[in-house]
Amino acid sequence: MSISTHRAAEYGIGVAFLLEIVVFALLSPYFFTADNLLNISLQASITAIIAVGMTFVILTGGIDLSVGSLVALAGIVTTSVLKLDVPIIVSFPFAILSGLLVGGASGMMAGLCTTRFRIAPFIVTLALMTIWRGAAFLYTEGRPIWELPEVFGVLGSGRVLGIPIPTLIMLIVFVVAHVVLKYTTFGRYVYAVGGNAEAARVAGIAVDRVYMAVYTISGGLSALSGILLASRINSGQPNAGLMYELDVIAAVVVGGTSLNGGRGSIVGTFVGAMLIAVLRNGLNLLNVGSYVQQVVVGVVILLAVMADRWRRTE
Amino acid sequence: MKRHFLLIPLLLGLFVGITCGKREETQQTKVIGVALLTRGHMFYRDLEEGLLEEAQKQRYELIITSAEFDLGKQIAQVEDFISRKVDAIIICPVDSKGIGTAVKAANAAGIPVFTADIAAQEGEVVSHIASDNVAGGRLAGEFLAKALGGKGEIAIINHPAVTSVLDRVQGFKEAIAKYPEIKIVADVSGQGVRDRSLQVTTDVLQAHPTLKGIFGINDDSALGALDAVQQYKKEGIIIVGYDATPPALDAIRKGTSLKADVIQYPKVIGTTTIQKIRDHFAGVPVPPIVPVEVGIVDRQTLHASSEGG
Repeated sequence: MSISTHRAAEYGIGVAFLLEIVVFALLSPYFFTADNLLNISLQASITAIIAVGMTFVILTGGIDLSVGSLVALAGIVTTSVLKLDVPIIVSFPFAILSGLLVGGASGMMAGLCTTRFRIAPFIVTLALMTIWRGAAFLYTEGRPIWELPEVFGVLGSGRVLGIPIPTLIMLIVFVVAHVVLKYTTFGRYVYAVGGNAEAARVAGIAVDRVYMAVYTISGGLSALSGILLASRINSGQPNAGLMYELDVIAAVVVGGTSLNGGRGSIVGTFVGAMLIAVLRNGLNLLNVGSYVQQVVVGVVILLAVMADRWRRTE
Repeated sequence: MKRHFLLIPLLLGLFVGITCGKREETQQTKVIGVALLTRGHMFYRDLEEGLLEEAQKQRYELIITSAEFDLGKQIAQVEDFISRKVDAIIICPVDSKGIGTAVKAANAAGIPVFTADIAAQEGEVVSHIASDNVAGGRLAGEFLAKALGGKGEIAIINHPAVTSVLDRVQGFKEAIAKYPEIKIVADVSGQGVRDRSLQVTTDVLQAHPTLKGIFGINDDSALGALDAVQQYKKEGIIIVGYDATPPALDAIRKGTSLKADVIQYPKVIGTTTIQKIRDHFAGVPVPPIVPVEVGIVDRQTLHASSEGG
């Protein structure tokens, strides 16, 4: 995992991304407009924020399948608190906080199960995925939580200087994550654990704590996305975030992060998430049917991973 | 799968043990097994209520189970009904094709099978009782066409993976076809959920700035479209939804862009199903498909009904 192959991976996907933009701009007059680009950033923000947490997890060689269900659960917890009969000035921060706490706590649980009980992350988070989805349906009895205070909608639909708030939050999350991974000791530990957990342990890194941290980050960021999504759709929906785990893993993998751990970057994930968001948006603008879209997105994921393999064996 | 084999006899034993005593007292009572898709939706709760109400009238005993979208579970439930030798089975299939094996098993045992809301594609079913989704789609199309004055660009927020939705869209397109100046410019999938529908609708709004109307194949699709229209502050777009859930009716009452909703009567589906079973027991021929009527509500009818009652 030398720095130069890293760079090459990022450049490769960057070139593909630019090419994609040029193609859609040529094909649709509505694509390359400020309005639509902001629209894409807004749409991408939800999965892209989760993809940041997933990048941390995958860098350690793990996986987190619970993110989509956490989106629903956090949205439901937050909207439920908002419906409490207390002044909005109290319930608003409390609602956001409790949503985030649920996500963080779930992540910690996942971390605990993988470190203490040595259960594979795939299994642990698969279980949490169905548990949280079930809990969301149980608590709401399958119905959405709605009639929310109007001010809550600002979070997902508001704009600052013309830029959607979720887009801004996404940018902040990416910058912070990039700095953490690249310039802090913790960031180096994440790569070290993913590269070779045994070697990291021998070198004196508290491997288990790194695992705990990455799952907590992933859970917390999923909850953040869930809260933003609930605000965008003005309701807590038990079926929100269905299959998001796959969209998110796709973004991370297309961005050049290896599922084996130890190799990848936040910048790559950003480009990966945007590439997929642009692809979906462009296909929708061109009125490509949903069946065809599924095939196209799948082919792009395969091509990206194949290109990645080919680069590494060179 | 293996665990199921252990579980089924266990549960069955428990079940029979509990219900045995009861059975002797009510020897004449017909027993009907009901395999619901879920109990989590309002729609199915109402349907269940209709079944229970009419069953009480006819003095039938109902054994109600719910698969919660799990096909394996549903097949096991139907198999349990067969070994219990119930007099009839009602299924709301999790999967129209996948339930086929269970339907055939019931056929082999000579137990009549009825489906409610969702049809089975394999095996022999005496009668399928469901909302007339084609008619519902037609109602939606006619409302939208009239509201638009017979012209303009419209979009469908679709979910083309379910037969009932395919029927709705077919009816909608039939109605729209009568208005040559209305053009369906986009037909996208919001997967029937609000978050995905919001996303695809924003894309449609980008691609078609002059869009005038939207048909959402269910209320989450229509409400997701409404979120998009409101967030992009598009004026003058008319949305028609389907299912008449409380959030959708609320949006219609408040005078948002969501103007009308097709309403189903799940309770009537329930009562009708039991009535058809009664007919079948009495030797009266029952048609293979029994459509249950649907209606459309808008702000006016909602106001009228809230004033009336």
